[in-house]
Amino acid sequence: MKDTIDAILKKHIPKEKGNLIPVLQSVQKKKGYISPESVNRISNYFRISRSSIYGVATFYSQFRFNPPGRHSIKICLGTACHVQGGDFILKALQAEIGISPGETTDDMRFDLDRVACLGCCALAPVVMINNKIHSRMSVIKLKELLNKYE
Amino acid sequence: MNKKTTQNISVQIDGKTINAPVGTTVLQAAQKAGIYIPTLCYLENIKPYGGCRLCIVEIKNMRAYPTACTTPIAQDMEISTKTPELQKLRREILELILSEHPYTCLICIDKNNCNEFMTTTRKVSVTTGCNFCANNGNCELQDLVEYLELTEIKYPWAYKEIKPEKNNPFYDIDYNLCILCGRCVRICNEVRYSEVLDFVQRGNSVIVGTAFGESQKDAGCEFCGACIDVCPTGSLSEKMGKWVGIPDKSIETTCVFCSVGCKMNINIKDNRIVNVGPKPGNRTNPLQLCVRGKFVPGDIMFHPERITTPLIKKENKWIEVSWDEAINFTVNKLEQYRGNQFGVISSAHESLENNYVLQKFSRKLMKSNNVDLVSSFPDKNIIKKIHEYYTHHKPANIENITNADTIFVIGSQTNLSHPIIENRIRKAAKNGKKIIVANTHDTRTSYFAEQNILYKQGEEHTFLLSLLFVLNNKDSGKLSNELKQEFNNFDIEKVFKHCGVSRQDIEKIVKSLLNSKNPVIIAGDGILINPYSIFNFNTLVNIQTILKKPETCKIIFLLNEGNFYGSTIAGLHPDLLPGFDELASEKNIKKWSDNWKTDLNNTKGLSGNEMVNNIAKDGITALFVVGDIPAHPNLAKLKFLVQQNMFLTELSEHVHVFFPITGFTETNGHIINLERKLKEIIPVTAPAKDVKTVWETISNLARAMQEKGFDYKKPEDIFSEINSFIDLSFATEEKAKKEILPVRADVSVKKKKLPVEIISENNYFNYLGNDLLELIPDMEDILGEVVSGSSSGSSSGSSSGSGSI
Repeated sequence: MKDTIDAILKKHIPKEKGNLIPVLQSVQKKKGYISPESVNRISNYFRISRSSIYGVATFYSQFRFNPPGRHSIKICLGTACHVQGGDFILKALQAEIGISPGETTDDMRFDLDRVACLGCCALAPVVMINNKIHSRMSVIKLKELLNKYE
Repeated sequence: MNKKTTQNISVQIDGKTINAPVGTTVLQAAQKAGIYIPTLCYLENIKPYGGCRLCIVEIKNMRAYPTACTTPIAQDMEISTKTPELQKLRREILELILSEHPYTCLICIDKNNCNEFMTTTRKVSVTTGCNFCANNGNCELQDLVEYLELTEIKYPWAYKEIKPEKNNPFYDIDYNLCILCGRCVRICNEVRYSEVLDFVQRGNSVIVGTAFGESQKDAGCEFCGACIDVCPTGSLSEKMGKWVGIPDKSIETTCVFCSVGCKMNINIKDNRIVNVGPKPGNRTNPLQLCVRGKFVPGDIMFHPERITTPLIKKENKWIEVSWDEAINFTVNKLEQYRGNQFGVISSAHESLENNYVLQKFSRKLMKSNNVDLVSSFPDKNIIKKIHEYYTHHKPANIENITNADTIFVIGSQTNLSHPIIENRIRKAAKNGKKIIVANTHDTRTSYFAEQNILYKQGEEHTFLLSLLFVLNNKDSGKLSNELKQEFNNFDIEKVFKHCGVSRQDIEKIVKSLLNSKNPVIIAGDGILINPYSIFNFNTLVNIQTILKKPETCKIIFLLNEGNFYGSTIAGLHPDLLPGFDELASEKNIKKWSDNWKTDLNNTKGLSGNEMVNNIAKDGITALFVVGDIPAHPNLAKLKFLVQQNMFLTELSEHVHVFFPITGFTETNGHIINLERKLKEIIPVTAPAKDVKTVWETISNLARAMQEKGFDYKKPEDIFSEINSFIDLSFATEEKAKKEILPVRADVSVKKKKLPVEIISENNYFNYLGNDLLELIPDMEDILGEVVSGSSSGSSSGSSSGSGSI
């Protein structure tokens, strides 16, 4: 793990602090999330404070701070899905797996994110699990659907 | 016009012509002319931010409304600051800001009656009024609402529903009150360089926070309190003085916890310390403090366990007695123990005056030269060496650190021992100056260092020696011949191996030192609290001497206690009379016998450690201790032991009479800091009725023993006496004397064990020997692990485990 971050950091000169975001993107790509340890190492390399790095990373929704689960759920709350009751689906989902968007369940089974549009508004409301779209979702269908993913 | 000569340009603000230098912002120019422009996010001496938009102004021929804090003035600018249009806009902006801040208190028509009617006499504990914030009047929003005459806010209040954080040491955080002005973020990152706070999240959910939402402590907060001082709302508020209200007055005094001697501003109400911080009305504190200065004085001076009456031990029980009784009791006993069997041990936190009177009492009245300080420096001669050094070299200023181009920090935990020095080092680092840090372990300073050297524990002397050797070989100085002889059979490779530092590293340091125009060397505990302290001192001074231009190099010796130098010059040293006069010289004995109109004993004085050891042989039978010394079984054998302190300590078990003592915020006096500057301590609060200063106690004792020369009425009398005998102006020969001090280029010397010494442990967090961690639970919270972890790390192996005798 240490080597992965080292390899990423070595591609950049410590003085070029502007490379922070590309570094964070690479770390996320390699490791799936931004861990406190990665932030420490990036902080020491670029001499940017940990809180600044965290501040930058939290500004962008692309970064996550929890390890990804085995299955990643993305719930759409775009206009069409919102009108069709996406909020209810999210609430039901949160109650079912017990986490809020951006988090991962303790058993690492699911991680949850909210997205603004998945580009298939005709099928609203939609939930995407592991890159597979599940259309016209309802609270009852959702429970059945989750059972398929272990 | 006269632009070239003065670099001034003239602008018109509200019809008033103002001359200000190029680069001044509109806001600064207006402030200079006494024109008020409302601000919220602006902080003096910090880069303008332009976040709050309240300082918008109208400038002729300029589009829209620029912010005064970010706009530099230009020739013949015509600026208006208070047009109706501007005020309307400002009101709108303030309303928007307030839509996220509980604003009932700001626009309530009954707010003036609030305090009076707030508490009701109902059966349930209900208070009327709005208790959202600490209500200490420290709110800039209140002032702005008043200034802009806002009586109504048309937006609904959006409560952020963030749980207030109450479990931080020393201060509470309630981000529901936060208006995101970013002052705390900027002071933390741009002034204190603690780099704990930043804005996190985006859009609506932005708050000030730490990485991964850690607690302040885990995020590396040093609890300097700067963020609390600058907060314009009650979002960050000190636990001490919360709900107390606006302080009555504010007094500036000097901090004695470490030898930097910072100015501190203490706010008081009803003779109690409300807090240490900016004056009321002056929301920002230009005086930067550390955790000790900011939070300790209020906690320790009004500590519930503080002793406020004299105590006499009868049948193993403490009996509260009057001063007269305690003095009479003590005098009767002391009469029996005059001469060399008596000893005084005092604290380097006490003022010049107190320690002077104390040693005068011992030498003149008790006829004993056994006087010593409980200091953290095991080798008593180190202070003599430093004094000698100062007679040839002007002591460094703290500003020297900011101006230096290379800073070499050796063996110091500066962030704990001297946080303000650390702050200057970090500032230099941020300004691109070269920082070299050498220590046995990584410290917080390492993070800011360009070169971080780790040498083996207990090898400070070999590290310095190898540095001197390599520097000498570069043939930089003219005086290197003497050293060459010493280094004749010097096996440098072996030494590199010894200290665990590679040749390349040493050469890199030497190169940096040689290329530097004005290097500053900072020597910390690792160098000075060391079995080889004198040797290290000599090596370090030699390094300076053989540099091409030694006078441009400054060495700062980080003395720990606030008045270590001052107490020694006051004469609290077994070998030295006041003014660093050697006791061994007959001439000096005569001089001081004349000064004090007495015949002084010329027997060599014992150090604190020797005194305690000699108790067993009946060499010492009575001791007067100011502060605390570590408990030792020998102390039980003492016939008479007097302690004067704020708290009962472990030592008190053996004590016969206990006098309560004033703290440094309750007394007049002077200290001499590490820059060798005389600094004044000013009383801030009156002590409790039965608490007396050391000089009062001693004068009372001396008068009861019918001794002349102790008729002091006030501390000024003592100071003028000291001033008439000792030159406190410290004239230094400007021309540095180039002298090579003796060093032994022999690294095979056997590991010397420090003679086990009375030293107040390697603990920077003590006052008069009282452990601040023990007395203040919050201090224990933030430093518990750090202090116990570092004392074994920073001190050189053999010197740790001090504490015991």
